[in-house]
Amino acid sequence: MKAWLCNRQCFIAVAAVCLVPLLFAAQGSASNSSEDARLVNEFQQRVKQYLELRKKAAGQAPKPTDSPQVIASSQRELGNKVRVARAGAKQGEIFAPEIAQYFRRQLAAVLVGPHGKDIRASLRHAEPVRMDLQINQSYPENVPLQSTPPTLLLKLPELPDGLEYRILDRELVLRDAEANIVVDYIPEVLPDTEK
Amino acid sequence: MIAPRKSFSLLLASLIVCSVSLHAQTNRKLDIKLPLRNNSVRFAVIGDSGTGDQEQYEVAKEMEAYREAVGFDFVIMLGDNIYGGHEPRDLAQKFEMPYKPLLDAGVKFYASLGNHDDPNVERLYKPFNMNGERYHTFKRGDVQFLALDSNYMDAKQLTWVEQNLRSSGARWKICYFHHPLYNDGKSHGPDLDLRNQLTPLLKLYGVNAVFSGHEHAYERIKPEDGIYYFIQGSSGKLVKDDFHRSEIMEKSFDRDRTFMLIEIDGDKLFFQTVSRTGQTVDAGQVGRQTQPARAVAAGR
Repeated sequence: MKAWLCNRQCFIAVAAVCLVPLLFAAQGSASNSSEDARLVNEFQQRVKQYLELRKKAAGQAPKPTDSPQVIASSQRELGNKVRVARAGAKQGEIFAPEIAQYFRRQLAAVLVGPHGKDIRASLRHAEPVRMDLQINQSYPENVPLQSTPPTLLLKLPELPDGLEYRILDRELVLRDAEANIVVDYIPEVLPDTEK
Repeated sequence: MIAPRKSFSLLLASLIVCSVSLHAQTNRKLDIKLPLRNNSVRFAVIGDSGTGDQEQYEVAKEMEAYREAVGFDFVIMLGDNIYGGHEPRDLAQKFEMPYKPLLDAGVKFYASLGNHDDPNVERLYKPFNMNGERYHTFKRGDVQFLALDSNYMDAKQLTWVEQNLRSSGARWKICYFHHPLYNDGKSHGPDLDLRNQLTPLLKLYGVNAVFSGHEHAYERIKPEDGIYYFIQGSSGKLVKDDFHRSEIMEKSFDRDRTFMLIEIDGDKLFFQTVSRTGQTVDAGQVGRQTQPARAVAAGR
């Protein structure tokens, strides 16, 4: 009987020692995920604000046409209107430091995950592009748009129509595809070895 | 000093030589490997075409010669449709002028986007028939075509691919996009991450054939998971000696620019790959694969 009691006490003690850190970890993970949700929500709000500003400044998106001249001029016009509307915009306006950290964590997790090797291979084969980025600049029309591995895209918050993520060398760019404008970017979001 | 009579004779001789040469050019016997059956679906395939160089124009001229004989009425474009700038003069020089005879004959072009394309210009450019979208679908006969944007395969596009493949009751399902899932090229090679995300859908919903570009040469891959893969990335650009042969390669050609002709009739797909100089570098036929149960059920 005594031996049984001793065994039971030992079992409870061992279980407690094992479970307490797990409980703390679970609590930490829950608070991490709610913090992540807050950051994603904050990011989406900022994106929404940008799109509202763009719509107010530039109106509706252009329609398909036979005329390359019409396409070229409407794109330039749209870009110029957006540039004027957010003339003072700075890097980090949408990718605020906390949000940028969230994106860095997401991308780092994918790159060390099971598809990391294939993603790195895809990035290498994507004709990497290097250029100096500036907010509100037009993406140069004669520079290829580097393709972005799908597994990376699936890990990032979804974007509304008209906006897209692009990897450029090591930076992550938020691009207004319709106005052809660099809306914001996170510098050196990919580790140096991923070049 | 050449006498006027002799001069006239020389001029006449030159005219006759030119005329015979032109006649031989226009009436040369084309090496047609397609069966040209009644009511079949016939189309051409070009990839990495938009250089505006002499070679692109020569490929286009050969395409027109084959169109007159084969009667294809549409062309699918595998991306890099316009290299460099996307000003109106670029679209004219790299698309409208080389393919003018085809466009004048009513041939329609259905583009997909490559990494050198400007999505914003090209999706709005009506002659590319993209309806203002980065990815789109159309049906010809009993063939469903899905033109994808492999530069940016996000969750939205993957869902769209799944919905369109699931809901299509077409006998043949063909996907085309710029980056190849399988490829033996030294310049780029396969896009492994794209392959991981896309092939489960292609297999599940019974896609029969996939056409890609990006690698500047021609390659036919042995069927992977029962799907036929073709790489046609040399209709304007070319990288010579581009391949390191592997066990997945069925046939390759990297000595000159090419385009493809396809004919689909019933359960057969016939293909012919033609070089800039009119040489047939690959040809054959493949049968329609048995469809996975899921695809058959979905298509009903």
